Amino acid sequence: MIGQLLSSSTAALGSVLGLLAQVPTGQVQQVPADSLHPSWCPAWAFWILSGLTIAGALVTITRRNLIGAVMALVATFFGLAGIYAMLSAHFLAAIQILVYAGAIMVLFVFVIMVLNREEEDPWALRSPFAKALGTGALVYLLVRLGEVIIGGNPPPMARGGNPPTDFGSVAAMGDYFFTKFLFPFEAVSILLVIAVIGAVVLARTSVKPTSVHDLPYADQPHGPQKTISATEAEAESPAAHGGH
Amino acid sequence: MDQLAVSVTSIGLSHFLVLGVIMLGIGVVGVFLRRNVLITLMSIELMLNAGNLTLLAFARAQHDMRGQALAFLVIAVAAAEAAIGLAIVVGVFRNRRNTDLDDLNLLRY
Repeated sequence: MIGQLLSSSTAALGSVLGLLAQVPTGQVQQVPADSLHPSWCPAWAFWILSGLTIAGALVTITRRNLIGAVMALVATFFGLAGIYAMLSAHFLAAIQILVYAGAIMVLFVFVIMVLNREEEDPWALRSPFAKALGTGALVYLLVRLGEVIIGGNPPPMARGGNPPTDFGSVAAMGDYFFTKFLFPFEAVSILLVIAVIGAVVLARTSVKPTSVHDLPYADQPHGPQKTISATEAEAESPAAHGGH
Repeated sequence: MDQLAVSVTSIGLSHFLVLGVIMLGIGVVGVFLRRNVLITLMSIELMLNAGNLTLLAFARAQHDMRGQALAFLVIAVAAAEAAIGLAIVVGVFRNRRNTDLDDLNLLRY
């Protein structure tokens, strides 16, 4: 199962790299006015990539084995990266692979390996309220989806045609982030620092001192200008260090 | 087939939006029906990706780079969310010895 998923992931990677490699074609043909896929990307690529994406998502939420679920999630992210490349977001396609299929996947796998637990009863059931809420949300989404598919009028927002040549390039993204989006960019950097510190604080084991030698140096009996007996240290340590 | 907004040979905005809705629906089902908190976190990632896909589709349709910038920020926030969420999972598992969402009802009453 995992081998199969891995092979599908590598196939997706191959297709994504193929798409990325084909970007700088000289001749640009005319595409239909309401189609968004670029001329270098055939329409069937969308169906393959979206099929990979949806299949990966379905496998993710139905799998009992958590590692299998994460591998399916990686396949989903590769398919999405290909679709981002279809949408002329080359930089974000690369970032998608680096961040999601790299960093977040490693984080998930690491936590799963640390916890090392199988789920006993995969589908069962949260409270009836949660079931009703989930079913209601799903029905609402499906109804709106049916409206979009059967309604027959495409969204009127599409401008059509080819975007500017630097659309989605690294240079254009950097231009945005250092001019118009400078404040969100800096705010996100602060958010990431807070997240890193918060993750360390949350996941750290608090070490309970078992002898006076584990105390800070100033609190040790032979420390500077202070004498403390071992029993005092024992009595004091849980309060001082936030007992577990 | 012609009055369908979703045609097979010409990939328009609707295709990407429908794919986003499907992914969002799968994420919602995963959050509401699975008990394992790790699967729930993965479903949240799926939903964030569905939102990203919608942002990029509209950015491409409008020839506007701001959607891509917003999607980049969403990716950064999703990474922070995954780090914090998994740290909380590890902390909860250390105290409670399981990761079933139904058993984590300490703050409920």
